[in-house]
Amino acid sequence: MLRQEVLEQFISVVGPDRCKTSPEDLLTYGYDACIYEYVPDAVLFPKSTQEAADIMRIASAEHVFVTPRGAGSGLVAEALAKHGGAVVCFTMMNRILEINTANRYAVVEPGVVISELQKAVDKVGLFYPPDPGSAAVATMGGAVAMNAGGMRGVKYGVTRDYLLGLEIVLPSGEVMVTGTVTAKDVTGYDLTRLICGSEGTLALVTRINVRLLPKPKTKRTLQAVYNSIDDAGTTVSRIVEAGIIPATLELMDKTVIKAVEEFSQLGLPLDAEAILLVDVDGGPESVETEAALIADFCRTQGAREVRVSLSEKENELLWSARRSAFGAVARLRPTCMIEDATVPVSYLTSAIKKVIEICGRNRVQVGVLAHAGDGNLHPLILCDQRDKAEMERVERAMDEIVDYALSVGGTLSGEHGIGIPKSKYLPKQLSETSLSMMRAIKRAFDPSGILNPGSFLEQRGS
Amino acid sequence: MIAEKLREEVYNCIRCGLCMNKCPVYNQLYFEGAAPRGKVQLIKKVLEGKLEPSENFCRMLSLCLLCETCTVNCPSGVALDRLMKAMRAEVSEKFGLPWQKRAMFHLLSSDRLLPFCLFWGRTVGNPLRSLLPADGKVGTIPYHRLPLLNRRPLLNQFPEVVPALGRRVGSVLYFTGCATNYLFENVGRSVIATLTRLGVEVIIPKAQMCCGLPIALSGARKMALKNIRRNLEIFSRDDVDAVIVDCASCGSALKKEYTHILEELGENAEAARTLGKRVLDVAEYLSRFELEKFLRPLPGRVTYHDPCHLVRSQGVREEPRSLLKRIPELEFVEMEGPDVCCGGGGTFQWEHPEVAAGITRNKIKAIADTGAQFVASGCPGCRLQIYGSLDTDAIQVLHPVELVAMALERRLS
Repeated sequence: MLRQEVLEQFISVVGPDRCKTSPEDLLTYGYDACIYEYVPDAVLFPKSTQEAADIMRIASAEHVFVTPRGAGSGLVAEALAKHGGAVVCFTMMNRILEINTANRYAVVEPGVVISELQKAVDKVGLFYPPDPGSAAVATMGGAVAMNAGGMRGVKYGVTRDYLLGLEIVLPSGEVMVTGTVTAKDVTGYDLTRLICGSEGTLALVTRINVRLLPKPKTKRTLQAVYNSIDDAGTTVSRIVEAGIIPATLELMDKTVIKAVEEFSQLGLPLDAEAILLVDVDGGPESVETEAALIADFCRTQGAREVRVSLSEKENELLWSARRSAFGAVARLRPTCMIEDATVPVSYLTSAIKKVIEICGRNRVQVGVLAHAGDGNLHPLILCDQRDKAEMERVERAMDEIVDYALSVGGTLSGEHGIGIPKSKYLPKQLSETSLSMMRAIKRAFDPSGILNPGSFLEQRGS
Repeated sequence: MIAEKLREEVYNCIRCGLCMNKCPVYNQLYFEGAAPRGKVQLIKKVLEGKLEPSENFCRMLSLCLLCETCTVNCPSGVALDRLMKAMRAEVSEKFGLPWQKRAMFHLLSSDRLLPFCLFWGRTVGNPLRSLLPADGKVGTIPYHRLPLLNRRPLLNQFPEVVPALGRRVGSVLYFTGCATNYLFENVGRSVIATLTRLGVEVIIPKAQMCCGLPIALSGARKMALKNIRRNLEIFSRDDVDAVIVDCASCGSALKKEYTHILEELGENAEAARTLGKRVLDVAEYLSRFELEKFLRPLPGRVTYHDPCHLVRSQGVREEPRSLLKRIPELEFVEMEGPDVCCGGGGTFQWEHPEVAAGITRNKIKAIADTGAQFVASGCPGCRLQIYGSLDTDAIQVLHPVELVAMALERRLS
């Protein structure tokens, strides 16, 4: 519980409407898109850097825990107040401050929804590529804190690759600027990229400068239908080997196809074992050549059918269907644990096989989804949180998937983050030296440990 | 208590949040309690006995237009609007409704009181409207942009059976709804003129009542039962081709809400299911006819606003547009976000005028950007909200069927 006089100090900064403390309001800030729940003691909605700084200054003086939050679409409880205290939610600080066409960058506040930025820059012929499945809800601040990836990672990289600079508020309440708006910048340590992916443990992000690209002239979406998931996996390896870099390269197995089709009714093939969704973009000529090449590859690798989309609208429908996958599988079972282990792409086929084998052995229902082009698996483990015995089997399966990914040189998490669910695995991937360096960095930013306590760094050992 | 089957819905919400950025209310307020996800999670807590429903909880439930945008966009297929409606019914029993709503619903569920009050409203209210303060408002709508009451209720202007003109090709029952009966008589006149001109006999049962939707959606489901039973009794006839409705909300009530309400109250819903299949929006029914040979040019530009209760509740998107597109020389221009709620939401705009005004502002801008002089929309609620928020008389808000009738009459004259 926060003391009344502390609350009053917060209210003096944001006003009573943007300081929420009713039981109903607090409950609605107790969850994100995964299964954990931690109810905060207050939710504050700053609208300016000054307000955010004032909040941190009070929190620092009064030793109040603060957990930053965007839209709450994260998957690892990073934005939950695990030890209570205040949630600082940025959804009301959501203006696009500048879109600079001459220098191709944009400056945004942290509450801007990713897809809103994408739409706004698209109108002036520019392109912000990072495209997580949750782009239509997730905020830019959240994307920075989690280094969000997404479907275009294979060609365009992730949030990290588009950050030019940030304005941040330190736990002490001091405001600091990192980076610039220039494409090149080697002045000092790269603190921009240190903050990116720090899961809200180092600072509040209050302004973001992102690099933009010219919008690709054309785009084509291919849909290759397979009777065997192995063939789909092999196709992916072959495309990558051949030096073709599609804009997106997504794999869905039949469980996911079924759920997505039930929602989107696009006529996806329900009898297929797997489909690959491939986007190629660029100049009209290279798009034609590459699309034909990929279609050929798919056929020789056993695709029973390759459809090429005919219009921008059809592209859009297919991709919004893909984006719905996480939600759509809830049609099958109430709970979905989404795994995120990532392997070097040449291991993709064997990794998919392994995942299916592990889940089968542990009697766990799984749907396979993957950002296949960059080896980022997303097995969707379908279960019911209310069934304890089942949840134990799920946990075992996830342990084994992680062990496998690490054994072939992969990583615990490609893009969702560590948070609570993966913190126990951290020592498997990071050495004690590495972890103590990270803790030292944390101490430098947040000596009294008030920002996002209970985060991934406070791992509980395996 | 909320029906067992509906209770299970809360466990299908995986909290992905895809409902949030599409929710008109969330996009005004930007906090979780305003968003569909937040409400479902709170309902879950209440159903699990972990949260006691409070006044604040009721207020959050009321912060919803019931526009169903979340329901149709939910990848997990959660019936969010049904949960919300059922929960409203639940809490309204505990906390009651504000007196204004109680008084209004009492009127709407009464045969005698409603015509009586509206008689005095017409006789005294219409002339007195000009005496009301110029800056006064009902919710977001200034007094001077409220509609006047019909001179006489539409039901009293026509005989029970209006015969087809020329050869009879069909016969329909016409559910007029309160808005057409008491406020927008020209909609009713247009429906009748168009149908009879096409050779359709129009039967207007005199004993029909308010569909009950406004009463039920505010939570007073049991109060609405009287209306539901009466209307089911009157309109369950199979000697006609269809039951025609010109109001999106009445249509959604007759097509599916009656069934949901009766099912959830544990009543026999068979008659409601049967009726539901026979109800058609007037635009749906008119799409069966070759209108072209009747329509004369109506020069101008029109845009179309999708009523929530038509496009999402009933899935009717194309028919009204195609009606308009068939009128010669009437240019059809699509606005930005035609299916985004106008912000009216029945009593929402009265309960949350500031939120509603923000939503309506976007709608008005989208309309103005088209440069159209007509906005067509088959919902009296949208009409009240849009007309009430326009600050120009250069844009007319009409029912699509009124434009059709205008094009028809040109030939006759």
